[in-house]
Formats: sequence, structure tokens, C-alpha cells
Amino acid sequence: MDLPSFTLDTTLLETSQEPDPERIYDLLILGGGPAAMSATVYAARKMLSCALLSKDLGGQIRETSEVENWLGFQNINAKDLADSFAEHVKSFSVPVAIGTHITTVTKQDDDFRVSTDTGTHYVSRTLILATGKRHRSLNVPGEKELVGRGVAYCATCDAPFYRGKKVVVAGGGNSAFTTTMDLLKVEAEVTLVNFIRGWQADEVLQTRIKEGGKATLLDYHQVTKIEGTDRVTGVVVTNRENDQEERIEASGIFIEVGLLPNSDMVKGLVDLNEQGEVIVDCLCRTSVKGLYGAGDVTTVPHKQIVIAAGEGAKAALSAYSYLMDKSLI
Amino acid sequence: MGVLKDKDKEKVREIFKDIDHQVNVVMFTQEYECPHCEMTRTMLEEVTGLSDMVSLNVYDFVADKDLAERYGVDKIPATVLIGDKDYGVRFYGVPAGYEFSVLVEEIRAIGKRDPAMSKEAITELGKIDKPVHLQVIISPT
Repeated sequence: MDLPSFTLDTTLLETSQEPDPERIYDLLILGGGPAAMSATVYAARKMLSCALLSKDLGGQIRETSEVENWLGFQNINAKDLADSFAEHVKSFSVPVAIGTHITTVTKQDDDFRVSTDTGTHYVSRTLILATGKRHRSLNVPGEKELVGRGVAYCATCDAPFYRGKKVVVAGGGNSAFTTTMDLLKVEAEVTLVNFIRGWQADEVLQTRIKEGGKATLLDYHQVTKIEGTDRVTGVVVTNRENDQEERIEASGIFIEVGLLPNSDMVKGLVDLNEQGEVIVDCLCRTSVKGLYGAGDVTTVPHKQIVIAAGEGAKAALSAYSYLMDKSLI
Repeated sequence: MGVLKDKDKEKVREIFKDIDHQVNVVMFTQEYECPHCEMTRTMLEEVTGLSDMVSLNVYDFVADKDLAERYGVDKIPATVLIGDKDYGVRFYGVPAGYEFSVLVEEIRAIGKRDPAMSKEAITELGKIDKPVHLQVIISPT
């Protein structure tokens, strides 16, 4: 009998090498997405002593199903792409600490000290912040209480649970539209609710959804409440044009209203813009010498995998130049 | 037909190297196996074969009903991990995808008698004073 085609994922299994808290590294890389992984490859190839600290390997790639704009591939499974990045990193035997929650980054004399929630500290001469972004909340009643019980932020992870069910998607950009597509594939009844006037998603995505005729689109509406006791039962929305309220019966709501930069650990250390993104120049330099930023956590526009990977490479090369100029390597 | 790639076997073998206490993997299937039971059993045979400290016992959910009840198993395929005692760890369905890593790490944790948690987490968990039943339900991505 042919066995079912499941994959067995081993990327999360610990590598034998953990970062050493007693060692001063040439470079510490914080984050686990394409920017961080690209930086790690470049740093390792420059023979820098480096280590990567992150809660996972893959970042936001693991929240999507397919990628159609990674050069060389018209369409590639997102997990396969993330796995290939992770395998490339691991081929260099760089110490990697996965599951690490970084609390603060400080500068002590000329070195950087990274503190984690387990009380472990790591030290390096240079540092790359590539910690990406996390999902923004709606901050409406019912959202926090019902996370995991109808309130969801990842369609790749959770869409299958809503097969044939009524679902609301909050948002108007690419993420909201691709989430809608994932849900329509499992025959969910989708209502898309956009806060600002006018849909922001790429035209190709808007066309697919609008011409498909299977989703209800509510432009210029606001989600004001998520109802339910043990599970989501409905979503209340307000028409911002006329303040009319409407209750949409729903088993779930996917919240795709943007992302927040994971820059809390460097607040007070480096310059951030109003959105909390790390301000960098074209060499990925921040306002602190020796500290570099790469990927979605920075002010570089157009948050894309290929751009993040490029920025990660630049950041590593900038760190290398800095260390060379100071005769530290 | 195997389910683990050679490089994955090497990775698991490496992870199991420092297991220093016996782990018994107990699996419940049935005489006429569905594809998922067969997949789980095949996978467990390969995984447990990668360490002398990890053994596998396969039982029939129907014929060994009393044993299944003793372990609280009410659906198959079911995988039970036993160390010096039953820690209550159960996998229902095929432990595939990311759950495969979880299975391997759990076998190691039981085999080292080390939950691999911070002292703070262990302290907080020690404050739990009533039975808590945790279920993690995953989608097949």
C-alpha cells in the first residue's frame, strides 16, 4: 500500500552547537528570517566567528503557502524555500540558538551584550538586527480572549480548520487577499473587511478575488467586536460611511491588518522611526557603530523576501568591513 | 519502503546519542492497518532503530483493549512514550510535519530525564495544583 505523502520536518531539531555565552563573537545575528539567514551565510563565508539567535528559522515565510517572486522559481512552496535557507545556514556549522527570546541589547564599551529571557547573555563585537515583524492586533473586544478559538493570524496554519465555515478576514492588503484565497480553497464563506477606503492589495490578487465572485467584500468598514464565549460566533462591523452596524455570523476571523517591527530590544539604543522600524542607511548601518539592521525590521521599503536576503548580505559585509577597519579580525 | 531520508536518520541518530535512560515507545494500531497507522508504525520502527536506548512495542487496539484502556488510548494510531514512568505524553495520528521534530525531542527529553526547560518555567509549572489536560491540535500542513 502506498503510504500517505506526509513530510517529516527536522529543521527544528537542535543542532549540536549552541552559542557559547563565554565567548566574544565577531558577530551576533538576531532573527531567523531570510535577512538573518542570508547574513549568516555571508558572515560564515567571510570566516567571522558568528552565532544566530532566534525564536525560529524561517520567519514570515513559514506563514505563507507559496512564493511566486523568488528569482529562479515561478512558483515554489514556501516551506521548501524556508527549509532550503535553513539547510544552507546549517551547512556552515554556525552555532544557532532556536527558541530564544531576546529581551535587551546593550552596548558595553565597544561590545554588544544580548540578553535572553532565560538569563543567558551573549557578547559580540558587531551585531545584526534582523528580527522582522509580528502581526498587528485589531485591539477590539473579544480578540485576546478568543485567540486560537476562532481568532487567527496565519491562514497557512489554520485555514483547514474552517472548511465550509463562515469566516471574516480583516484587512485590505496582499496578506488579507492571499488569506482569502487560502480560505476559499477550503470552501469557506469569506467576508473581507477593509478599514480604509480602497483596497490596497496588488491588482492581480484583487482581480482573482473579485472576479471569482465567491467572497463578500466590505470596503471602508471597521471590525468593532468579536463575539463568542468559548469560540468565535460572530463579528460586529460598522460601516464607516453611515455608522451602520452589522453582525456577521462567523466561526472565525483572520486578522491581516499589518505588522509591527520586532525592535523592542533595541529601544533606547538605536534610532527608530515613528513606526518603530530601525533606521538604516544603504550600508545597513544604524545610529550605533557596529550595529546593523536588515530586513523587515528596518526602514528599507518593500518588505520582500528577496530584498530582505539582499539586505542581510549587505549587513554582514558591512560588519566585516567594520571589523577589518578596526583590525579586530 | 522507508519514510526517513538518510540525512534525517543521521540527524536523529546524533540527537539520540546522549540518551542515557531507556525509553519505551508504545504504539497502538490494528490488524488491518489504515494508511496512517502503517505510516506511523513504519516511522516509529525506523526512529526507534536509531538508538539502543529506545525500544518499540506495537499493540493491537482491539486485541489489546485492556492495555489501550490502561493508557487511556481511545483512537489510533496512538503513540505513547514511557520512561521511568508514564509522563502522560500521547501522539494521536501521524506525528509528521513539525510534529516529527516534537516526537524526537520528546523521546530525547524522556531519555535524558530532562525537560529542557528554564528553571523559571519549571518553578511556575510546579505551582499547578490540579490536573490539566493539554491537547495540541495541528493541521496537516
